[in-house]
Amino acid sequence: MADLVVVLRRWLALLPLTCLPLLAHAQGNYEIQVYGADTVPPQNLMVELHSNYTALGEKDTIDGVYPTRHQLHETLELTTGLNDWSEVGFYVFTSEQDGHGVQWVGDHIRPRVRVPESWGWPVGVSLSMEIGYQRAVYSTDTWTWEVRPIIDKTIGRWYVAVNPALERTLHGPGVSEGWGFAPSVKIGYDFTQVVSGGIEYYANYGRIGGFAPTHDQQQQLFFVADLNVSPVWEINFGVGIGATGSTDHLIFKAILGRRFDFSHHSAVD
Amino acid sequence: MTADAAPPDYKIEIAPVTFDLSPHRRIRTNAYNGQVPGPLLRLQENREVTIEVTNRGGAPEVVHWHGLALPSDIDGAMEEGTPPIAPNTTARYSFTPRPAGFRWYHTHTMAMGDLTRAQYGGQHGFLSIEPRQNPARYDQELFLALHDWEGRLLASDDGAMNPTYKASTINGKALGFGEPLRVRQGQRVLIHILNSSPTETHWIAFAGHPLRVIALDGNPVPTPQVVPMLRLAPAERVCALVEMNNPGVWVLGEVRKHVQAAGMGIVVEYAERGGAPRWQQPQELQWSYQQFAAPRAAEPGQATVVPLVFESKFRGHGAMEAWTINGKSYPEVASAPMRKGERYRLQLINASQDDHPLHLHRHSFELLGPGVPLGPAGSDSWTPPEGFSRGIMKDVVLVSARTRAEVEFVADNPGATLFHCHQQNHMDLGFMMLFNYG
Repeated sequence: MADLVVVLRRWLALLPLTCLPLLAHAQGNYEIQVYGADTVPPQNLMVELHSNYTALGEKDTIDGVYPTRHQLHETLELTTGLNDWSEVGFYVFTSEQDGHGVQWVGDHIRPRVRVPESWGWPVGVSLSMEIGYQRAVYSTDTWTWEVRPIIDKTIGRWYVAVNPALERTLHGPGVSEGWGFAPSVKIGYDFTQVVSGGIEYYANYGRIGGFAPTHDQQQQLFFVADLNVSPVWEINFGVGIGATGSTDHLIFKAILGRRFDFSHHSAVD
Repeated sequence: MTADAAPPDYKIEIAPVTFDLSPHRRIRTNAYNGQVPGPLLRLQENREVTIEVTNRGGAPEVVHWHGLALPSDIDGAMEEGTPPIAPNTTARYSFTPRPAGFRWYHTHTMAMGDLTRAQYGGQHGFLSIEPRQNPARYDQELFLALHDWEGRLLASDDGAMNPTYKASTINGKALGFGEPLRVRQGQRVLIHILNSSPTETHWIAFAGHPLRVIALDGNPVPTPQVVPMLRLAPAERVCALVEMNNPGVWVLGEVRKHVQAAGMGIVVEYAERGGAPRWQQPQELQWSYQQFAAPRAAEPGQATVVPLVFESKFRGHGAMEAWTINGKSYPEVASAPMRKGERYRLQLINASQDDHPLHLHRHSFELLGPGVPLGPAGSDSWTPPEGFSRGIMKDVVLVSARTRAEVEFVADNPGATLFHCHQQNHMDLGFMMLFNYG
């Protein structure tokens, strides 16, 4: 029994080190968004362009992964509703950087289900699964899987969304790490009917059961604004500050979305 | 109200009741005499009646006699000075009902955020004010009330929040659950339809049977018309004659598929006919007030103009909007000065993104043509639209979003007079004002 305790102690002591590569190089910055619980209605297509620029980030190539500094990421996200409680999304990730030009980074697929409105739950709840590939020069972990529960609630002028996401590597050095904990939270406030502002928090604490030391965790705070100009448009932009050594220190982000309705509802439907 | 100890003509008790809307949906709410709708009260025009109302509902209540020209202290709005009926007490109302026609009675309390109370709870009943001489050119009367139940608030992207409903019914029963309406071939049936929904406008058709509209809000229209469907905003009523000349089993119900699927419909069964009820789906929504107006245009009379601008006040994407009339919410809204006997024209300028069923208490008003769209600023001057005509008397008018309508009434019933949007969530959040004249 004593031997087992010693082995466990050594194993636990090594955990932060084993987590380090995953945390240091897994910061995607391709889609920086706290999800709301709503899904896209059936026969609707949501087209979103995520534009993220890392002004202050990793300057060196580590383990063959390009530095994040001065990378401009353009991500095309297409989401279509399957029925009134599910949707599926597709991502195309790209990166532009001096010396590397415009590069295709990878693709993800993201099915999602939600608690139907007809259930009358007091909060919005949905569950997203995201699986995909990214090239090794952008992430040592080339195949990843994310399970993201989503809870949100609007109360008066306030909006809160919590995404306690779990991530794991399917192919790459991070496979042995198992599940990591990468929560995100958004708190928004409606200043007017059109303009909302708020903060978004993104983190990656590392492996469940053995969180990384704070320095090696990813901790980011974004100050964001949403413009609710129309039900068919989504406009979000913000600036993010990394709070730990393993986090990119300054990122600008923008999301421009447009909803297309192909349902042809008539007045009598 | 009087302290008269003589037996009342009618007794109404407000008390909790549990009933089934459908095989799978049970409701507990306050009702009149344990039934939804409450009992049909048939009163004689200009003959005094006494009605006793006992409140066992657990909260203060007030009963509004909608469409009658009553004194303010009986009309049934606390804002006008009608005293509330405290729990476990009885109020006794003696009044002379007028004018004749299809009226109704309902609670006039506030729900605020509780979507089970006030008009959400379905406290309503029919009033039929019989004229001294009723030619009765019909063989049977049917009274139908449309209602929506179990409202919930779902946030929307544009900041407006209105309840959506789990169930919709006619006379408190979902389509196919209650007893069918039974008719005989060759009958002329007069159907009185009331929309008692707290917030929803409804479109009603009777499969296989055109409807001849003869009255709006209980008042005969100058030009009766045969129409394929009816539109009823909250609190509106339509009286329509139907020739029963298409034997079978039919559905009378909501034209919009999702609302009929939620239960709003009723089976109409001819004698000695059976089989599954048939529905004929209309492909578009059709309605206008104007078609029932007098065939000849009339010049507007002399009337004092009272401009009223309706706007919403954003309170967050997670809250219902507040409402203003001329920039103020009730009770801050300034009352327009009026004098007895004068004629007034209310300019109803809906600068908001919602439709509003506007109700004037204790008076009927004359509709001055259909609503016309507002200009971008919402302040353009109103000109009578093409075909402008008169003669439609109502007590509720639906003014669509971003349009303007005008109505005229004679100040012939002195006292405090409430004017408000009949959407429960709108009146709860400030969309009311008082006119007062001696």
